Amino acid sequence: MNKSLVNGQQSIVRGAASLLIVFSILTSACTKKENPLPIFGEREVEGTDTVYHTIGEFKFVDQDSAAVTNDTFKDKIYVADFFFTSCRTICPIMKTQMLRVYDSIQNEPDVLLLSHSIDPEYDTVGLLHDYAERLGVKSDKWHFVTGSKEDIYKIAQTSYFATAMEDKSEPDGFIHSGAFLLIDKDRRIRGKYDGTKEEDVNRLLADIQRLKKEYVKEN
Amino acid sequence: MKNHKPKAIYRVTSAVKLFALGLLLFALSLQGCREKKTDSNISSSSSIKQQQYYVQGEQLYIKHCSNCHQKNGTGLGLLYPPLAKSDFVDQNFEAVVCLMRHGIDGELIVNGKSFNKSMPGIPSLTDLEIAEITTYLYNTWDHKRDSIELQEITNILNRCVDESNPNRSSTAK
Ligand code: HEC
Repeated sequence: MNKSLVNGQQSIVRGAASLLIVFSILTSACTKKENPLPIFGEREVEGTDTVYHTIGEFKFVDQDSAAVTNDTFKDKIYVADFFFTSCRTICPIMKTQMLRVYDSIQNEPDVLLLSHSIDPEYDTVGLLHDYAERLGVKSDKWHFVTGSKEDIYKIAQTSYFATAMEDKSEPDGFIHSGAFLLIDKDRRIRGKYDGTKEEDVNRLLADIQRLKKEYVKEN
Repeated sequence: MKNHKPKAIYRVTSAVKLFALGLLLFALSLQGCREKKTDSNISSSSSIKQQQYYVQGEQLYIKHCSNCHQKNGTGLGLLYPPLAKSDFVDQNFEAVVCLMRHGIDGELIVNGKSFNKSMPGIPSLTDLEIAEITTYLYNTWDHKRDSIELQEITNILNRCVDESNPNRSSTAK
């Protein structure tokens, strides 16, 4: 066989191999450079430290009558939303979408879900218990909470920037946003999603993974 | 020169062939998508009126029902019962027509599972709209009933007991 042809073939193989290496280095560099998720809300600079907006103190009761506070979410990433069991409009869609999130985090011990009732007088612990059971979800992963109406509305508006209020002219008697909020381990809001839109919730699922990676790197 | 010409033609024709094949594949895949997208069991022989009912009914279903029962009719856990596969839908035609306008309350067994949450009625639905939703519901997913007449629906609606009356059995077949 012609020697130069063999040589030629070898050099093509070599060339291809080195191209592959360069390419894989380039792509791995790209994935490392992925932008961190934004941090929502106002921030203040105090000396060299930036102080970010964080979720305020809260104390609610979940479907198992257990107290749910900031401590419940210590060192946890969580997704929060606002709903009520008798809601006929967007809540069933939101819950279908949140159920997708629930299914996707089954094996993630540091990710939890928190659904606040904005009709806490009607949504008693018993009702929330029944609701969660009928949805087929467990309380160690997904807390449905009730509490004082004032506290819930206040935390919705001032901590999560979510709309939640009573309005008798609305079909269900409440105005509320269908937002899902992604909260990091430092109580900061890192993402806001429309809980009635499948594509937006897909983005949330991806962002949960991104946020998890942030903490892997820091430790 | 003479040698080149047929070669070029050959190249062109093979490119055209490839293109045609690609187009064919694309069309086929599109067709496949379309077939998957619609769950319609309404036969092509049904009247134009029935097909119109079906199309309108689908829109009305998405607007009025899909938030609870889901677009694909699967329901949600034990909170909202399924419509796609439902022995209740199969066995209670009149009750289903009535509950769209009047709602339904209390325990309901669907496919052997207990549901108990109230479904609000939609009093603003006209007889025609209910006929359209019924046409959609009964000719989609697991169901195939075909022809549904407006007069039949109106007759049923006139027989419905009010939602405040818990005795539903008189409306069920
Ligand atoms: C607010 C949520 C909601 C909406 C909107 C809604 N339903 Fe329902 N539906 C329910 C609930 C809850 C039940 C179970 C009622 C019970 O337990 O007594 C039900 C029961 C049913 C049933 C009987 C059970 C079954 O699954 O076979 C049918 C049929 C039905 N709905 C059809 C419809 C149709 C058609 C529409 C739109 C016109 C609609 N529903 C809109 C919540 C809803």
